[in-house]
Amino acid sequence: MNKFKENLVGWAFISPWVIGFLIFTAFPFLQSIYLSFTRYDIISAPQWVGLANYRMLLFEDELFWKSAAVTIRYAIISVPLLVVAGVALAILLNNEVKGIAIYRTIFYLPSIVPTVASSVVFLWILNPTTGLVNNVLRTMGIQGPAWLNDPTWAFYSLIMMSVWHVGGSMVIYLAGLKDIPAYLYEAATIDGARPWQKLRHVTIPMMTPVIFFNLVMGVIGAFQYFTQAYVMTPNGGPQDSTLFYSLYLFRRAWKYLDMGYASAMAWVLFLVIVVMTAAVFRTQKKWVHYGG
Amino acid sequence: MADKTLGKTIARVILVAILVVGLGWMFLTPTPKDRKYPDRIPVRFWHRWGGEWAEVVARIAERYNQSQTKYEVIPLSVPGATADAKFMTGVIGGDPPDVMSMWNGAIPNMAASNLLTPLETLMSPADKKRFFEESYPVIRDSGMFRGKAYGVTIGSDLSALYVNVDHLKEAGLDVENFPKTIEGVIEWGEKLHRYDKQGNLRRLGFSMGYLDFISHSYGTGFYDRKAEKLSILNPDNLRTLTAITEQRKRVGYDKVVRFVSGLNTGSDTGGWPFISGDLSITIDGQWRVEEIRKYAPKMDYRVIPIPPPKERGTPLSGTVSGNFMIIPTSARQKEGAWDFIRFWSGFGDLEASAQCYNDGGWLPLTPKVVETKTFEAWLNENPQFRAFISILGSPTCRPMPPVPYLHFLNDQIGRAEDRAVRGTVTPEEALNELERNVKEELRKRKELGYRD
Repeated sequence: MNKFKENLVGWAFISPWVIGFLIFTAFPFLQSIYLSFTRYDIISAPQWVGLANYRMLLFEDELFWKSAAVTIRYAIISVPLLVVAGVALAILLNNEVKGIAIYRTIFYLPSIVPTVASSVVFLWILNPTTGLVNNVLRTMGIQGPAWLNDPTWAFYSLIMMSVWHVGGSMVIYLAGLKDIPAYLYEAATIDGARPWQKLRHVTIPMMTPVIFFNLVMGVIGAFQYFTQAYVMTPNGGPQDSTLFYSLYLFRRAWKYLDMGYASAMAWVLFLVIVVMTAAVFRTQKKWVHYGG
Repeated sequence: MADKTLGKTIARVILVAILVVGLGWMFLTPTPKDRKYPDRIPVRFWHRWGGEWAEVVARIAERYNQSQTKYEVIPLSVPGATADAKFMTGVIGGDPPDVMSMWNGAIPNMAASNLLTPLETLMSPADKKRFFEESYPVIRDSGMFRGKAYGVTIGSDLSALYVNVDHLKEAGLDVENFPKTIEGVIEWGEKLHRYDKQGNLRRLGFSMGYLDFISHSYGTGFYDRKAEKLSILNPDNLRTLTAITEQRKRVGYDKVVRFVSGLNTGSDTGGWPFISGDLSITIDGQWRVEEIRKYAPKMDYRVIPIPPPKERGTPLSGTVSGNFMIIPTSARQKEGAWDFIRFWSGFGDLEASAQCYNDGGWLPLTPKVVETKTFEAWLNENPQFRAFISILGSPTCRPMPPVPYLHFLNDQIGRAEDRAVRGTVTPEEALNELERNVKEELRKRKELGYRD
């Protein structure tokens, strides 16, 4: 079989995926660039408006900046929190104690519960009168806040919920821990290193590739944060405190039928994510250790 | 060792058995029949009701199917906030429903986008007479946009005060002497609040809210029909928002929020906090009459139209919203869709139509339906419903603003009310903000080439 035929067979095998990718991913992706320069209500033909959508959202839309600020704040708080919680939990669950498989399963379970279902459960848990959290606080003589109806606490309620989903990254950290060669710990023990020093100079440096991976995925996820906010505070929460960028984008697109504007918002979000991811990649030379 | 192997084998056998049973159940469960009347022309009907309400709608569709032999209406429940989005994707994908029951607030935007069929094109002269001359003006106008009819009600909603008579008695108040002003209702509410030892509310006497609705009791609301334009910064709206804010301040905003957000959502299944006794006087919709009949038939309660304020008030006022039938421009079976609308709304057999409205406790298109024997008998069984009929016929009961950006406007009105009652801004500042935001949005829309 000559080279051309070989290539043709290869393309034929991957063609279902390639066709699907071109139609359902590449085309809408490129189309949305064009739509972001138009007025488009999804029904009528798009009308070219030049840079108007970008100008309006960057310079004339208070809610654009408000939603961007909420999202950036969420990324700044939740991403490091999830990294620390995930690594700490993985280290705890790396101990070979009796029943460890059960503990690991328990901590992993929340991450496989559908997001909408877990959001509804949290709506109940955070109910100010009958919810679990305030009932526990009440037994300690503390009057809990109104959580999702309190502009101060609504945002942190969602942060709290994100930590509950730490099990997914925890499993990856755990795999990373298992990959650390035992001889490094043996050498450290011979050198007289204490547990804290082993953690500081062996475990964490060896975990940095995994931390890096979770950091990149966490940043992307944080900027696209939507489902929990949509289910728990569909109107953007009290005083816009949980008006996340994607929530505002969704509102513009599907409630106000402002698809051109929403496309422009999506492209701004895409560029921000690209820049943030690139920035994280640039820092990796300084702190990520790939050596075995 | 042998024990371990045996344990593993048993676990595998159990796992395989579960898989076999699960897959067997999935594949062997009979799928529901697609069509009950396969020889008829299908009319696909999407609606926003779920749960028990979807069953009510399915019964109405079946009654229609039995009433004639040409069409088969196939109802599909598309509930939730994303119903409009699903409808839109159906239209873009070339597979829209033939008829859909939609929130009337969505009509202007969709009509402005040429998404909806002007219903006059399907009406006979008698239908036109019924719609344009014999229907309740407020309901007729709620389905119209720029002079054309795009939606016909199959169940409109209005709000009024629900009053728990037992709570009044307990507080030494007589329902027969119910206050004639909103200030009086607020005073009664104060007497009806109940607190626990920590000072938290455990029963809410009355809480004023719904700026958009209650502003009609103080003036003309947010739209000037004579001038055909928005009217946000008017003294009556300021009076309304100030009254709401002052009342909430007196009870304690945090207390009300904590109490209200802890209540059952009251999702139409008997869990309504008024039924459970958590609220003494509350503003709610007419469908609750049917809910009380179903879930608390012995409850002693009254429905009373929201009384006007002491000064410059408008009695029997409010605004209508609800479920309106629309036919997409690209629908395949418009005649069948219109025939179904006629059956339910009250263009054809009025007794059959009354039965449809009574099934859900909805408000009808025309007084002619109210005058039927069926509706009259139902009213005698549910006398509290009469309060809503009296509001419906009032000239100060108005449709929502007929603007294509109604979703934006409603979001902004809700935001202004929330900011004012929380004390973040004064009522005046809240309305100024609202006016500014709406003007800014309109300016942007104009610049982007929208007509309004």
